[in-house]
Amino acid sequence: MAKFDLTCRIGQYLDRHLVLPQLEFLNANKIFDEKDLLQAKLDTLSTTNMVDYAIDVKEQLHPDTTKPQINMDGNDLNELRNKRVLILEELKRLQDADKIFGVLENDEVMKKMESMRDSKALIKFLADLADFRIEMMEDIVRLAKYRYECGNYTTSSSYSYFYMLVMPPSDKNYLNVSWGKLASEILTQEWDTALEDINKLREYIDSNVGIGNPLQILQQRTWLIHWSLFVFFNHIKGRDMIIDMFLYRPHYLNAIQTMCPHILRYLAAAVIVNRSRRAALKDLVKVIQQESYTYRDPITEFLEHLYVNFDFDGARQKLQECQTVLCNDFFLIALPNEFVENARLMIFETFCRIHQCISIQMLAEKLNMEVDIAECWIVNLIRNARLDAKIDSKLGHIVMGGQPASPYQQLIEKIETLSVRSEALENLIERKVKAKNQDPISIVWN
Amino acid sequence: MSRFFATGSDSESDTSIEEEQVQRAPAAAFTFSDDEEETKRVVRSTKEKRYEEITNLIKLIRNYKKIKDMSFMLSTFEDLMKAYQKALPVISKEESGQTPRFYVRCLVEMEDFINEVWEDRQGRKNMSKNNSKSLTSLRQKLRKYNKDFEEDITRFRENPDEEDDEEEDKADEADSEDDDNRIADFRKQEPSAPDDSKFKKGIDDDASDSDLDWGSDSDNDSSSSSDDDKPQHVGADYFRKTQKDGGDDEQKQIRKEHRKDRKDKDRKKKREEDDGEGEWETVKGGVAIPSEKPKMFAKDAEINTVAVLKKLGEIVAARGKKRTDRKEQIELLHELQCIAETHNLGAPVSIKIKFSIVSSIFDYSPNVSDPMKPEYWTKLLERITEMLDMLLNATDLIIADSIPEDEEEYEKPEYKLHGCVLTLVERLDEEFTKILKECDPHSNKYVERLKDEKLVSSIIDKVQEYLERKGTVSELCRIYLRKIEHLYYKFDPSVLKQKEGQVASDVITSVQVMEKLCKYVYAYDETDRLRTRAILSHIYHHALHDNWFQARDLMLMSHLQETIQHSDPATQILYNRTIAHLGLCAFRHANIKDAHGCLLDLMMTGKVKELLAQGLLPQRQHERSLEQEKIEKQRQMPFHMHINLELLECVYLVSAMLIEIPYMAAHEFDARRRMISKTFYQQLRSSERQSLVGPPESMREHVVAASKAMRNGNWTACNNFIINEKMNAKVWDLFYQANKVREMLTKLIKEESLRTYLFTYSHVYDSISMPTLADMFQLKKLIVYSTISKMIINEELMASLDDPTETVVMHRSEPSRLQSLALQLTDKVNNFVDSNERIFEMKQGNFFSRGNQGNFRDRQNYNRQGQDWGRQRRDRERNREDNRNY
Repeated sequence: MAKFDLTCRIGQYLDRHLVLPQLEFLNANKIFDEKDLLQAKLDTLSTTNMVDYAIDVKEQLHPDTTKPQINMDGNDLNELRNKRVLILEELKRLQDADKIFGVLENDEVMKKMESMRDSKALIKFLADLADFRIEMMEDIVRLAKYRYECGNYTTSSSYSYFYMLVMPPSDKNYLNVSWGKLASEILTQEWDTALEDINKLREYIDSNVGIGNPLQILQQRTWLIHWSLFVFFNHIKGRDMIIDMFLYRPHYLNAIQTMCPHILRYLAAAVIVNRSRRAALKDLVKVIQQESYTYRDPITEFLEHLYVNFDFDGARQKLQECQTVLCNDFFLIALPNEFVENARLMIFETFCRIHQCISIQMLAEKLNMEVDIAECWIVNLIRNARLDAKIDSKLGHIVMGGQPASPYQQLIEKIETLSVRSEALENLIERKVKAKNQDPISIVWN
Repeated sequence: MSRFFATGSDSESDTSIEEEQVQRAPAAAFTFSDDEEETKRVVRSTKEKRYEEITNLIKLIRNYKKIKDMSFMLSTFEDLMKAYQKALPVISKEESGQTPRFYVRCLVEMEDFINEVWEDRQGRKNMSKNNSKSLTSLRQKLRKYNKDFEEDITRFRENPDEEDDEEEDKADEADSEDDDNRIADFRKQEPSAPDDSKFKKGIDDDASDSDLDWGSDSDNDSSSSSDDDKPQHVGADYFRKTQKDGGDDEQKQIRKEHRKDRKDKDRKKKREEDDGEGEWETVKGGVAIPSEKPKMFAKDAEINTVAVLKKLGEIVAARGKKRTDRKEQIELLHELQCIAETHNLGAPVSIKIKFSIVSSIFDYSPNVSDPMKPEYWTKLLERITEMLDMLLNATDLIIADSIPEDEEEYEKPEYKLHGCVLTLVERLDEEFTKILKECDPHSNKYVERLKDEKLVSSIIDKVQEYLERKGTVSELCRIYLRKIEHLYYKFDPSVLKQKEGQVASDVITSVQVMEKLCKYVYAYDETDRLRTRAILSHIYHHALHDNWFQARDLMLMSHLQETIQHSDPATQILYNRTIAHLGLCAFRHANIKDAHGCLLDLMMTGKVKELLAQGLLPQRQHERSLEQEKIEKQRQMPFHMHINLELLECVYLVSAMLIEIPYMAAHEFDARRRMISKTFYQQLRSSERQSLVGPPESMREHVVAASKAMRNGNWTACNNFIINEKMNAKVWDLFYQANKVREMLTKLIKEESLRTYLFTYSHVYDSISMPTLADMFQLKKLIVYSTISKMIINEELMASLDDPTETVVMHRSEPSRLQSLALQLTDKVNNFVDSNERIFEMKQGNFFSRGNQGNFRDRQNYNRQGQDWGRQRRDRERNREDNRNY
């Protein structure tokens, strides 16, 4: 299944720290050679300050390193240990640089600060408390970064939070701190705040304040798309949001199409799983078709087979492949059952729309189910009133109910909404006229 | 020439032409005087200067006399009087108070002439108003003036044939010298371009003929010669002179022949003897040898860089003057180069000289719109190649526009030269296209010329190499674009082979080269025009090599569709060409809709030829002016870059057929049927109107016949009409992988025929078995299945499948007349509500513009599909949104 693994592609757009969980995941999944993975992990760790972790990995990588051999590797390990001492010293130095950090350590003060929304009041409060000056913010940023590098995400995020509270968005470090905060939140698995951060970042990027160059904006968006995956697949609201953001925000759709078509996998999975957003399918299929030459994997191919070629056999095959892909994907690992259920339903729905009479035998085959289970499944569907059909058990057929709409019905269907729509329009206009009469000056937008 | 005859027969038109002549004359006058001053830049004594001034004026007067241009004669006469006044002190000193004889002669001649004209009342009447006025005033002035010289004049009249003194001779000599130049000018063309000069000679013969025919009526003559351009005029002048001057001229003619011979010899000897700064030389008798050309160097002069450069400067200074002998200039430069080389003056000097040679070759052809002569062209290529080779070898040399001429450095490295190789090459390239356009594209000559393309390309490569070493970014962009323009339209089969793995992937193909060049231009170009052109060429190249997706994406990303109408015509033409190829590429990839979309705009107007700049169409409503035609001709593409129009049209028509025929079948009774492609419809209509339809001959007829067959669902007939011997030869074999295209076409024809069949005949069936259909259309069952499924899902076909029996069951719901009318009415009401909403939204600004307005049609589809894709929910959403907004 290595061929469908996207870690490598996604990794380019992630922070080192964000790659680590993925590597851990792959390690557990055992599709790659363990040694290679460990080495990769080590390389990833090399420029961070998470020395303890690195030492751990190193020992894992060479578990047979017994005492006599330690001299060889020992150098490395010693080096790491030395590094650790240095890092601790540096941390201490940074920590002591300003008095303010003492204040920040204090939980009570932090809480109080959080309750203050106005930055001016906050600065005043801090100045009273701990001789605070704006210049100290530089140090805070540095320390937050350092903490982050050391893997101390919670502290880092609280520092960043503090920073963002105090400083205006026009500050030069604002963007970097936002990213840092998002990463910290993701790594501490605070999905709610992470979601908030993503929205903030998105607004910041879309407003083009700090970044003028279109290329840079595109890059920022690409990062955001990748980082947000963590949140979207872990937050409850994420499934709707991923569709809204990736598919219906042209900027982000463009970014996906130009920079990272592999994101389509996640988008497709999200759309398939999300039963209430079936309308998005059509748009998605269009995008998938457009990009089919640059990216295809079982999930996109499944949709293509089902909605473009109406090749149910192909769809069935792809569905099978999809399952393995899902099981081996860091982000989608939670979804397989839901995915398969929904995919089946999709196949079945499409099938029913085309057919008048289906043999259960064939249907079971197409849905990858045992005949009995399939029958059971269909019975359930019928019972839940989602399907207008009857089973002809003698022949083993399902006969679709519902005759084609008579012209009369068609007519009704067509004009049904008209009155509602017109009424709504009328209301709108009336309201507008009223507003105009009341306050003729305030209507500037007409 | 017709005008020429007209003047011969009709005296009315004669005068009008004469007026034209009058308008033209000032230029001539200026050139003459200008020239006389510019050819030699030598210090002369006051006497010489004054005398020459006078002689020149006298000569001018003589000329005007010949063409009877009174107004100019008057002004020249006034000048002459002034000049004489100025020269008076010198004359009194030199001639001891005597009036110079040649001056007197001139006065006498003028008097005679004016009297003669005055007598000729008929002639005077015919004269233009301006001229006759001048004549009167001239007559008066001359009379008054001549009174002062009465004595001299009477003496002169007594014996006019007294032997010429020195001045006289000198004047004569200058005169003949002048003629000589003209002859040389005229003759030199003879060996070089036989056909051309023959043509000219013919005209000249005509001119002289006319002289013979109409005797003294010199008006005729001058007007006829004024028809043609400068050199001819001069030539005609010359011939007339020989006629007029009679016997005396005969001698002159011989003398000239002699001189010419001598001159040639002289050139061979490289003018070794020293004649002192190339002053006009006095001729004794008729056989004296003038060496009117400036000597290269004095025999004993030291030849060093400075001297050579000075000489070069001298030669180049004459450039661009009207009467500089361009050919001679080239030769002089060559000579100079030989000298420089024999004295080993080093690369910089030779390069500088070569540079001048190249630019003087460019100057050679006088008319900008006319192409260069072939032999000069080859020479030009050689010189440029030599120069560039030298330039590339001399690594410590910089030649650039930015170096001012007085900062050039020849002596020591780093050498610096003024000049721009890039413009030279750009000029060369333009010249090349001009030459190609001039050739008949079906002749061997064209092929011969086209062979030079390789040379031109290699020159561009060399310049590129040089600029990559020394040039600035913008220069690099320009040369890259040049290279791109030589590359983009060429098909490189190795690209496709590489795609199939037949060629190793590390072989550099033209696509990669294009990619590299274009990316550079995208990144560094600042003018936008270059970038646009680079993008278009890049797309073109991708499309040419079947890289459909890349080409499409690049086109979409460039957003050129919106802005292209604001760019210059050349870029628009390139855009059209690119779109045409994009269409062809889409067709090869079986993306019929895209192909149709691309080609529709081009074909709709019926002016493909003009849009692609592959020829001019006669315009019906209004004639183009000559100038407009010239401009349009300049825009034309050379033949080897043409896109086959028949192929284009065929691809368009076939695409239209594949889209339109099923659509027509599906919407046969639809009230709102729209035409997808008008041109195709026209073809179809026109064939329907024919009372008798014969077997198809042309490509269009074939497609029309195929369309008719497809309408009946007869795919074999359709296929046979589209793919057969004739069509292969005409169209399909032009594709690189023709067989693939044909296979693709057959498959599409089968599918679309199946669809058409189902649309057309579904009402006679209650159910159809799918295996039978598959058999009928020789398609795989899977494809039949998926095609029908698609139709059902899209609600094009009111049917559903019966899986166990593998049949399509039709749902008969034939609406009655009333019902169908009612349905149509609801459709209209629906439209009405939609447009109402849209109007409202438009007024509101784009509160709701979440893609809803754009795909209005899509929404309609959703609606028809019912349940899941339904609109109701969306509407509810919209309503909610509305409420939120208010």
